[in-house]
Amino acid sequence: MARALATVWPLVKGCITGSVLGITVADWVASVVTMDGASMHPTFDPQQAERALVEKCCLYRYDFSRGDVVVFRSPRDHRELMVKRLIALPGDWIQIPEKQEIRQIPEGHCWVEGDNAALSFDSRSYGPVPMGLFLRQGHT
Amino acid sequence: MARALAAVWPLVKGCITGSVLGITVADWVASVVTMDGASMHPTFDPQQAERALVEKRCLYRYDFSRGDVVVFRSPRDHRELMVKRLIALPGDWIQIPEKQEIRQIPEGHCWVEGDNAALSFDSRSYGPVPMGLLRGRVTHIIWPPQRIGRVDRKMPEGRIMPL
Repeated sequence: MARALATVWPLVKGCITGSVLGITVADWVASVVTMDGASMHPTFDPQQAERALVEKCCLYRYDFSRGDVVVFRSPRDHRELMVKRLIALPGDWIQIPEKQEIRQIPEGHCWVEGDNAALSFDSRSYGPVPMGLFLRQGHT
Repeated sequence: MARALAAVWPLVKGCITGSVLGITVADWVASVVTMDGASMHPTFDPQQAERALVEKRCLYRYDFSRGDVVVFRSPRDHRELMVKRLIALPGDWIQIPEKQEIRQIPEGHCWVEGDNAALSFDSRSYGPVPMGLLRGRVTHIIWPPQRIGRVDRKMPEGRIMPL
């Protein structure tokens, strides 16, 4: 019994170490997300279940640029992740053609839109998104 | 040179392993946060720079209850963490005495308020907070020693309209 345990233990230890290392890397360095939905066509093809690399390194610089594709928790459903393009940063004035209005993005928020405007449920529906919802401040 | 490296390597390996394990535990099990500000008096004492234990297991399925003290990223500044009491969950109707109005909390959001209503910058100023901003629940105060104890779930009376 003790001998069987002794032979298995290095394997178990390796698995645990690997998992913990994997979790830390996925949270803080980069992880992979599977695409779903047509809101970002043609950047992402809805038919193909593409997988994208989500980079997490910019978390300590909180370093986003207009035009980045970002991953964030949906403001309507915190269990769901969404992928959209960051259009405006805090303090920017953005023009919304559908509503014929101009809005200023409040501090700590940003405006996101899908590339496929007709099929995208984004800031034009739920307003500016708090940057705290960004997944560990990562981007693809 | 190689011998010095060989002597130091177990120590370096131990430090790296310890850090990675510590980071994972801090993100997924529990971490510690230092209190600052008077918005949660008397639950937290502003003079004492208390440290509180924040448990993260509630984030797996987002099972929060009304009355929990929660930690969340500020909707006004994503670099800042705030600690307030969760008063209402999605779908609740909440009564706001200051504005003499009743609001329904939208799906995916919650209403937070500080225990010290006069000095608290909370949902009464910035509205319902998306639940995706929640980062954990405060369960205990762990420092200073005279303040060690549980932080209990407490609901203010008469704020949530029963369905």
